[in-house]
Parts: sequence; C-alpha cells; structure tokens
Amino acid sequence: MSDPPDKRGRIPGEMTPEERARFEGRVSDLGGRLDRVRARQTAEEDADRDAVLRGRGMAYGMRMAAELVAAVIVGGIIGWALDWVFGSKPWFFLLFFILGFAAGALNVMRAYEKMQREFTARTGGRIGQDIKDDDD
Amino acid sequence: MPDPIHQFDINRIIPINVGGWDVSFTNSALFMVLATVLTVGIIMMATRTASLVPTRLQSTVEIGYEFVANMLRDSMGKEGMKYFPFVFTLFIFIFMCNMLGMIPGAFTVTSHIIVTAALAAMVFLTVLVIGFAKNGLHFLKLFVPSGVPVLVLPLVTLIEIISFLSRPVSHSVRLFANMLAGHITLKVFAGFVVMLLGTGTYAFLAPLPLLMAIALIALEFLVSFLQAYVFTMLTCMYLNDALHPGH
Repeated sequence: MSDPPDKRGRIPGEMTPEERARFEGRVSDLGGRLDRVRARQTAEEDADRDAVLRGRGMAYGMRMAAELVAAVIVGGIIGWALDWVFGSKPWFFLLFFILGFAAGALNVMRAYEKMQREFTARTGGRIGQDIKDDDD
Repeated sequence: MPDPIHQFDINRIIPINVGGWDVSFTNSALFMVLATVLTVGIIMMATRTASLVPTRLQSTVEIGYEFVANMLRDSMGKEGMKYFPFVFTLFIFIFMCNMLGMIPGAFTVTSHIIVTAALAAMVFLTVLVIGFAKNGLHFLKLFVPSGVPVLVLPLVTLIEIISFLSRPVSHSVRLFANMLAGHITLKVFAGFVVMLLGTGTYAFLAPLPLLMAIALIALEFLVSFLQAYVFTMLTCMYLNDALHPGH
C-alpha cells in the first residue's frame, strides 16, 4: 500500500536525486561544523583544566613550604622559651631549631604521601598522566 | 604609586571601649558580619521554597552541602558527619570572606593572620578536646609511632610533638599568606597601569599590566576557593587524627 501522489506527482517521503544530493551535502556540512565546535570546546576545556591544575599545583607548593617553615618556627620558639626559663642561651634554641627542621621534613613527607595517595586513587596508579577533575 | 598595603588597614567604624579594652566595631568585623548574614540569608532563601526539583539557588546551596559532606565522608567515613555543622560553618565562612574580599574596594578578612590564627586555634583546640574525650590518654599515641627502637623513641616523640604543634601555625599561615600575597600582587599590577599612564611616552604600554591584572583576578578567584577548600580539608584530616590516633 503506497501513499497517493501529491499535486506535483510525487510520493510523499520520497526524495528526488537532486534533493538527496543537497540533503547529503547539508549533513556532511553539519558534521564538519559540529567537529569544529567540538574541537574548540575541548581546547577551551583543556585550557580551563590547565588553569585549575596550575592553581592546585601552586596551592600544594605553598602548602609544602608552609609545612616546613611552620615546624622550624615552632621548634625555634620552644627552644627560645626553654632557654628563657633555664637561662641556658643558646643551647635549647639550637637543639629545638634542628628538631623543628626534622619535624618540618616529617610534615612535608606526610603531606606528600597523602597527596600521592589522593592522586593514585584518582588516576588508578597512572601518576603523571591526565588527571580527571572532580567535576568532570 | 597607590600603596598596596593600604587595603589591609583596620578602621574603627563604631569605637567601643570596655574597661580599657578596645573592642571597636571595625571594617574587619563589618565584613565578618556581612559574610555571616549573607550566608544565612542565601541558605534561608534557597531552602524556604525547597522542592524536589530545585531552583538554581537551591541547587547551588545543595552543591555546597554535598561538597563539604563528601569531604567529611572521604576522610572520616560516616561518623565524620557528626562534625558536619562545625566543618561546614568553617568552610562557608572562609569561602564567603574570601569571595567578599574579591569585590573591588572590599576588605579581605582572611588576609589578617589574627583571624586565620583564631580559626586554626579553634580547630586545634577542637581536635584536642575530641581526641582526649574519645580516646582518653590513648590520644597521646599520636606522638608515639609504633615500631620505633626504644633508643630513639624520645627523640622521635619530641619531633612528633613539634610536628603536631606546628599544625595550627601552617594551617593559619597558609590561608593568610595566600590571601595577602594575592591581593598585594593584584594591587601592584593595577598600580603599574596608573603609573604607566602617567609617564606620557610609555603610556601605550599600560594595557600590558592591565591584562596581567585581569588574569590575576581569575587566578585570585580560584585561590579564594582553593584556600577555603584546603583549610577545610586539613580540618577534616586533623579531626580524623583525633578520632583515630596512632598512624
């Protein structure tokens, strides 16, 4: 059973060869345009992710520096206070300054271990490769 | 050149003096109140008409809730949700203060170390109280790592104690230093624009630092969020130590 031909003698839903050619031209054109838009979008997303990663890297860097310096300062203050109490300048200060440095190194090591665990969890052990962001 | 430090000046808005103590209502206090009122206002507005299909405002607030809740669950598991009110308040307050500071001419509360130090001290004391309340003297195990030869144990314990005491310092300095440095850099680059415009011959170079300032503003927004996140993240980590001492 077929539809009745319309006024111009065509069966509805059928395309003439010219129409088909034009239609296919439009389709492939649309495909090209979509590809271009997609390429632009991924480029933008990559740039965004770069910025986020750089910001995160800076945050981590600052964190490491703060961890180290904070422990050295706290050690120094404790030593200085003990010296002040016992009147033994500068021995406690020297000792605790060095201990503070050790504590700082410990802090940095711990922070790094934690960071690495996070990265390993997020990348499945492929550290150094593309890191999936939380929100994508 | 405009003074890049000037933006951190504390001004008394309503001078108050109680028994020789200066407890004036300052611009810093104003912005803290503003951050609190805005947060409460936004959350009330969003949840007043709470529905299954959320409005834009409601989903924004829900994202904030989920964000902090996930952070807690990731670091402490389900029992961490007990501390949700504390941690969520910390995060939202710091986030709001940082973001309010990004408004040109606004005061950045978190760029003063006394504010971040107070916040960090609050976390530190909370960890101590929870640690001793939950574990009693077992909490001190935090300072005595297992599997260390007795000979070096006193030394290691001493180092662990210093490491523990350094936490509030690094906790507060990080937030404060990031906000301070970011806002100064921004002001300095903005100052370059004005200076170059004033030189006459080299005025055509003025757009260069302007572009830099624009890029820095974007970075500053990121830092504002990241530092609030890092502060909260570390709070979760320290709370986890309080619940489960002994690494």
